[in-house]
Amino acid sequence: MCDQSENSTEEVRWQKVLYKRQPFPDNYVDRRFLEELRKNIYARKYQYWAVVFESSVVIQQLCSVCVFVVIWWYMDEGLLAPHWLLGTGLASSLIGYVLFDLIDGGKGRQKSGRTRWADLKSALVFITFTYGFSPVLKTLTESVSTDTIYAMSVFMLLGHLIFFDYGANAAIVSSTLSLNMAIFASVCLASRLPRSLHAFIMVTFAIQIFALWPMLQKKLKACTPRSYVGVTLLFACSAFGGLLSISAVGAVLFALLLISISCLCPFYLIRLQLFKENIHGPWDEAEIKEDLSRFLS
Amino acid sequence: MGLLSYSGDGASLEASSTIVRPGLLNRVPNPHSLTIARRRGPGDHSVKELLAQVQQASQVGLAVLGTWCHRQQESKESLGHFLEGLGTIFSHEPWLQLCREKGSKFWSCKATHQQGSGTPGVSSEDEVMLIFYDQRKVLLSHLHPPTVLPDCQAGEATVSAEGLAAIFDTVSRSEVLFCKDQFDEGPVRLSHWQSEGVEASILVELVKQASGPLCLLVACLLSLISAASTCRLWKLWPLPFIASKLSTCEQLRHRLEHLTLVFSTQKAQSPAQLMRKANMLVSMLLDVALGLTLLSWLHSSNRIGQLANALIPMADHVAEELQHLLQWLMGAPAGLKMNRALDQVLGRFFLYHIHLWISYIHLMSPFIERILWHVGLSACLGLTVALSILSDIFALLTFHIYCFYVYGARLYCLKICGLSSLWRLFRGKKWNVLRQRVDSCSYDLDQLFIGTLLFTILVFLLPTTALYYLVFTLLRLLVVTVQGLIHLLVDLINSLPLYSLGLRLCRPYRLAAGVKFRVLEHEAGRPLRLLMQINPLPYSSVVHTYRLPRCGCHPKHSWGSLCRKLFFGELIYPWKQRGDKQD
Repeated sequence: MCDQSENSTEEVRWQKVLYKRQPFPDNYVDRRFLEELRKNIYARKYQYWAVVFESSVVIQQLCSVCVFVVIWWYMDEGLLAPHWLLGTGLASSLIGYVLFDLIDGGKGRQKSGRTRWADLKSALVFITFTYGFSPVLKTLTESVSTDTIYAMSVFMLLGHLIFFDYGANAAIVSSTLSLNMAIFASVCLASRLPRSLHAFIMVTFAIQIFALWPMLQKKLKACTPRSYVGVTLLFACSAFGGLLSISAVGAVLFALLLISISCLCPFYLIRLQLFKENIHGPWDEAEIKEDLSRFLS
Repeated sequence: MGLLSYSGDGASLEASSTIVRPGLLNRVPNPHSLTIARRRGPGDHSVKELLAQVQQASQVGLAVLGTWCHRQQESKESLGHFLEGLGTIFSHEPWLQLCREKGSKFWSCKATHQQGSGTPGVSSEDEVMLIFYDQRKVLLSHLHPPTVLPDCQAGEATVSAEGLAAIFDTVSRSEVLFCKDQFDEGPVRLSHWQSEGVEASILVELVKQASGPLCLLVACLLSLISAASTCRLWKLWPLPFIASKLSTCEQLRHRLEHLTLVFSTQKAQSPAQLMRKANMLVSMLLDVALGLTLLSWLHSSNRIGQLANALIPMADHVAEELQHLLQWLMGAPAGLKMNRALDQVLGRFFLYHIHLWISYIHLMSPFIERILWHVGLSACLGLTVALSILSDIFALLTFHIYCFYVYGARLYCLKICGLSSLWRLFRGKKWNVLRQRVDSCSYDLDQLFIGTLLFTILVFLLPTTALYYLVFTLLRLLVVTVQGLIHLLVDLINSLPLYSLGLRLCRPYRLAAGVKFRVLEHEAGRPLRLLMQINPLPYSSVVHTYRLPRCGCHPKHSWGSLCRKLFFGELIYPWKQRGDKQD
């Protein structure tokens, strides 16, 4: 008897299928209708200060571009002697090179297997080629209008900022393209400088600030986060100061941009997490979790 | 006027033909039947003997189909009995009786059935057809079957086509009979049955007789020349290369081939081959005639001296114009953003080249008149040779333009190739040669730096090089176009089938594309009478069929590949490259 009743209840149980005839009206919704619904299972919880710390990469890159432009402006106006910039650049490069090995105690160098001879060779190649081509660079864009050059440089530097590898895993990221765009912009800008020595030093400086400085930053961030924060603050302040000496409005706008990126954007990101409503359930598209590489090769 | 009688009963068509010539014996080659008629013949035995003789001589089966009579009255008077007698000797169903009607040009045909009263009308008079045609034209014509056969629409069409095919078969076999004309004895044939005039025939025959020894002589000379041309001295290094680039050598070789073919002692095997030989001969004769005209024009009233005097100032003028062009390019042409330094370097380089060229021309100037005089003599070899030499001289005189073009193109090609590969580097990609595709690649820092530096420099220098390339390419294309026009003219003279075209113009029936039938008379109770006329081949297909092979030294560029080559800065030549695909 009991068995039978159980059977009968089993029979009248509502099923979420359309292919069966069931003793329920068409608009009937069972209690179990959405019981498999899950919300925000992949949502992350962010810590505010951690996000601020991570945003410093963007700050650094913005400051690099700003410093480069400011230095170029000084060179173009003749306020900065090229020798002085060359000396400073060489000294800072040497300090950075020493620091690069000191920070992790030479582990990174052993891992990559790169010798000091190769470093020296690369440096020689940079300096020789830049020095050899600097007269060509000087006359390269003589007949092209200055506005065209500015526009090209702005586009290239924007592209550099967009494609830079900030650590995100996205298709748009391409460190090669970003570096190439920066070099292109620097060559364009260097060709407007008054003499070929200026052009040579400008391009060398561009290599230092766009290629070498991010490598050192990455290592600093990984090994000594505290000093990295300090360096970032110092760098941002110097960029702000440099810009202030050219135009106060630009400096204020730049400071606002930096503050908004480092403080407002993380805050906004965390706030927006509250409004996140990702629903998951059996209707999700299939996700392959197993590693299939052994079948593919 | 030929006459072909055609009798048939429905499905199985039986073809037979008659040749009618007043005063002569009418012979019809046909395995089945023969209509025979004589105006004043001896007895019926002699008819049989004659038949046997003809059959033996021509190896063609003959049969008697009916009788033919020139005038109705005569048949009534004297021949009537004879014809009736024939009817009783030769039995053919139906027995045809042809005679000319009184006071009209037409021939009437009467088909009698001997047992006709007994059997019901299986072969009524409607099934007898008379087809009039010109025997000479049909025998002489060379039928060109259409390349695309039209579809046979129904069974009847095929049946009638079979019948027609049988008629043509019969006519073509009767050619043997016709060639054995009664005048063909002796070395000189006095009456030439192909042409109307007797004198022309005599000339034709004399030429025929003379052509054998002449051919032998010329063939000997030609073999001597070709033996000299295969001498090892000509195989020394620069000579074959230069010879392959000069259109004169190509043209001379082409002409030599033609001459050997025309004057070969072997007979032409097929009518197509004969036509080819005749075409070659006529085109060569025309060529030489035109060349001689040119020669006489050139050597009258010191035209060569005038030409030579005009040539040097012209070259000077061209060089001056080029100098102006270069100076314009060295400024800011059309407001373009050129790189000043590169512009100056290129401009000076080309100016120096022009200076060299002018001094070279002035060094040459005392000899130019003599050179031109000798070149003028070459016109007696034919207009095409003279034109080829002209084309070569033109190429030599515009050598500086060619040099500019090559420098510009090489520079431009270098830039384009460099830019395309550096653009890949700029995006962090590289060309994978093994898989023929673009792969991503991680470059070293110094590679990236140098690559981008060069990329920037090349991008900003590209407009300058491209402009120089464009200007010199246009000049080069102009030269190539002029040369191409000369070559086109030479090709036209070389390859136009002049003899075939003349034949088509004067004797349209010789080149037949088909036949058409015209109904002459269609009356009830009388046989249907048709006139067969030959459809001549259209001129376009005459040219297409008998075109002579061209002098094979010109490349065939499609427009697309030409534009592609121009864009990528590859060199274009008016002659064929070794690496080019032959299509």
